[in-house]
Amino acid sequence: MTQNPAPTLAEDVVLLLLDDQSGTLLPVQEAAFKCALAGATLMDLAFAYRIDTDLHSLMVSDRTPVGDPMLDRILKRISNHPEVSNAHAWVEILSSEEAGIIREQALARLVEHGVLQRHRKLPGLFRAHRYTRVDGAVERELKGHIRDILHSDDIPDPRDVALICLVDACNILADIFPREEIEQVAPRIEQFHRMDLIGHEVTGTIDEARRAIVLAVRTRAARFGKWLAALSLGGGLAAVATLLVPRIPMPDRFGPGLFELLWSDETWQQWSGYTLLGLSLAGLLVALLMKTPLLVRRKSHDWWPLMHVGFGAGCVLALFAHTGFRFGINLNAALMWNYLALLIFGALVGISMRRTAWPPVNAALNRLRRFSIKAHLLALLPLPALLILHLLIVYLY
Amino acid sequence: MSRNTLLWILGIAGTLLATAVAVAWMTVGGDRGILLPGKTTDAHHQIELACETCHAAGAFANAKKAEKALNKACRGCHEAELKAAKDSHPPGKFRNPRMAAYWEKLDARLCTACHVEHRPETTRTSAVTTPTDFCVACHSEEEQDVRVNRPSHASLAFDTCASSGCHNYHDNQALYADFLVRHADQPWLAPVPMHRFSAQAQTRTFRTEAAPGRGDAVAPESALRDPAILDAWAGSGHAAAGENCAACHAPAAAKRAGLAEIEAQWVEAPDMAVCEDCHRWQTKTFARGRHGMRQHPRVSKPRNPRRRLAALGLGGWLPEAAVARFTDPAPPRRMTVGEARLPMHAETAHLSLHCGSCHRPHAVDTEAAAVEACASCHNDPHTQAYFGSPHHALWEAEVAGEAEPGTGVSCATCHLEKVERRGNIAVNHNQNDLLRPNSKMIRPVCLDCHGLGFSLDALADPGLIARNFKGKPEIQVESMAWAIRRTVEKPEEEGAGSRVQSPWRNSP
Repeated sequence: MTQNPAPTLAEDVVLLLLDDQSGTLLPVQEAAFKCALAGATLMDLAFAYRIDTDLHSLMVSDRTPVGDPMLDRILKRISNHPEVSNAHAWVEILSSEEAGIIREQALARLVEHGVLQRHRKLPGLFRAHRYTRVDGAVERELKGHIRDILHSDDIPDPRDVALICLVDACNILADIFPREEIEQVAPRIEQFHRMDLIGHEVTGTIDEARRAIVLAVRTRAARFGKWLAALSLGGGLAAVATLLVPRIPMPDRFGPGLFELLWSDETWQQWSGYTLLGLSLAGLLVALLMKTPLLVRRKSHDWWPLMHVGFGAGCVLALFAHTGFRFGINLNAALMWNYLALLIFGALVGISMRRTAWPPVNAALNRLRRFSIKAHLLALLPLPALLILHLLIVYLY
Repeated sequence: MSRNTLLWILGIAGTLLATAVAVAWMTVGGDRGILLPGKTTDAHHQIELACETCHAAGAFANAKKAEKALNKACRGCHEAELKAAKDSHPPGKFRNPRMAAYWEKLDARLCTACHVEHRPETTRTSAVTTPTDFCVACHSEEEQDVRVNRPSHASLAFDTCASSGCHNYHDNQALYADFLVRHADQPWLAPVPMHRFSAQAQTRTFRTEAAPGRGDAVAPESALRDPAILDAWAGSGHAAAGENCAACHAPAAAKRAGLAEIEAQWVEAPDMAVCEDCHRWQTKTFARGRHGMRQHPRVSKPRNPRRRLAALGLGGWLPEAAVARFTDPAPPRRMTVGEARLPMHAETAHLSLHCGSCHRPHAVDTEAAAVEACASCHNDPHTQAYFGSPHHALWEAEVAGEAEPGTGVSCATCHLEKVERRGNIAVNHNQNDLLRPNSKMIRPVCLDCHGLGFSLDALADPGLIARNFKGKPEIQVESMAWAIRRTVEKPEEEGAGSRVQSPWRNSP
């Protein structure tokens, strides 16, 4: 009987993100997950003494294969591109181009080891798979181990410190452990980030690499965060304003005023309506493409969440142009409420992606994000039907 | 299958099913109430679910065709009244290519240029959806510029054209300058105030010389038990005109006079169609007005789901129970009081509107129909204020026989126009002919008793209308003074301000 090879840090990241109750992967922020996987792979290479990195540079110190096909492939890629010379750049490349493959490989290894089970999502319709836990012991063991480290005063294993620092840098620690627990161990986590492990089974080179990779991951994970939150906040506030602001009175002066054209002229109504429909479809398309595994492997789509939120904010403006804050009655009112719910919950998802320096706030934001994602998807469900009926009313009558 | 997958499948299936049902409502039949895109105007809300009445172009018709069908529908119901009102802006006037320059500003060839349905935010008085200063579109440039043509109008804003009692877009029969000048010297009250057609109607004689008694009624035994009914009939115009019970309860057998046949065909509660047999014009005008609009022949009939399903190639596929679900919930053919948007007495909400609602079917009492019937349902300030008003006092005096016929003023006097038809006085049951703009009422009603100047001022004063004309007008319409100045006195001084004071303003 052959013994299972030691798990990679990427596998540990995946294991940590298994939901205790359902056994499925937690719906963490996609970009943060990818950064964690990229950072974990670089960290594994550093622990294997194959790369050497500090805050300014990253170089291959040993081209000898590690023995793990995934790590060896990444090592070869780094060796072939000496011009890309620092950890920030490699975290960016790996998180955008390799994260999907790293995740699939990690999941495949966990399936192989009997930890997870793989199911096809809607057989024949999508290529993506869904994973559920088979053996919870491994996951419980890892989480228990991390919990012990966080609650004790012992000097931890450098690999565990790296794992904790990585997931914390990506702000997904609050997705894994309860809020109260994170609040309790926050000083200890901070201590890990500052911890000097030289002399504790690792050299100064690895310790420096850890710091550089964690910093790169943190920077990368926070990329677009401000923009995403700002755009979401703006769009969300505009959508809420639609509910609260008094309806703009129709102009009572004859003449081609802008509002008169917008809300009375059929041609303008059609333009604003189809603009709204186009923006909505574009937003939906971006969301679907972000979830397509094929695309994840081949293309960088870090901009795409921003694009998705951008289309959402554009929808708020188009909605104003089309309706002028008016809800109408019956089906039109239902469509308006539904659309606003979609926009507001979407904006809440974007806002809740922002991370702060306070773990309790982050934990609350995580809860808000999970709820908002569900509500956003739920609001999406009746929208096509309402839109089709809205269009049919116009063209059938 | 995971719970999430199941929920997604259920959600998508539910959405598709709901869409399919709603599309079936639109195309085959069923309750389309939830599809109404906006509140319908007060004038049309009774027929708002008979969509095809106005949206007659058919599915996926291009915009031009749909617009044409809409406007044809408008004309179908309203063309006759506009013609009768000598419409000042008939669409035909604007079809002249010389008017092409105006089409871009306001296409007056189309009713829908100013009247768009389902737009409550922009709907103003008389279902107008254009801003109130719409006259500016054509009357502010070149030879049509009223500020140049009429010095008196130089400082006036265009939103006062139709709101100051001076002009209407369609009906200006009582407002044009020559008419104003001709009636300028009228006193506020005529020396013998009397509504001429009401007076004539009271003097009508019937064929039967000997008044019938309750014993003359011919009906099955069971129908002759209520003496009150028999007395009511015996004193009615129907009895005086020689119409016996069977005329309404068994019309097909009425002429043959055989009691057995009458009994066989006896209908306990005859339909309005029976009234229509003799009172054709009255029922026709009733269907044109607000009380009977649902019976207008141009209002589309409920859709036939079987025929529509057959057209879609689904005839016979669906079980009868499913087809029944796609049957138009035809609104009651008769409007109920509860559906009205005006304030009504709650206890009458269930009553439907037909001939018998106002005219007691056996007594056919026009006096009760003229006031009591109206006030039994309507509960707005204008109606409430009628009782105790000068008009009501005159009506009471007439009913009591203390005053000449035609001197009383009932609700019907002002709201249901009496006209002379073939030597008889008939009542036009389309109250819309005297409503909105209220100056429509001036020539056929007000001028019988009042002077034009007083009538204009009174109808321009919303407070006075709400008080049902208790008191004096507090508004003075300037048009008469300006018309006199322009045509009789010095045209160049037309704009110098009104020197003609309404005499009733200083009267006791």
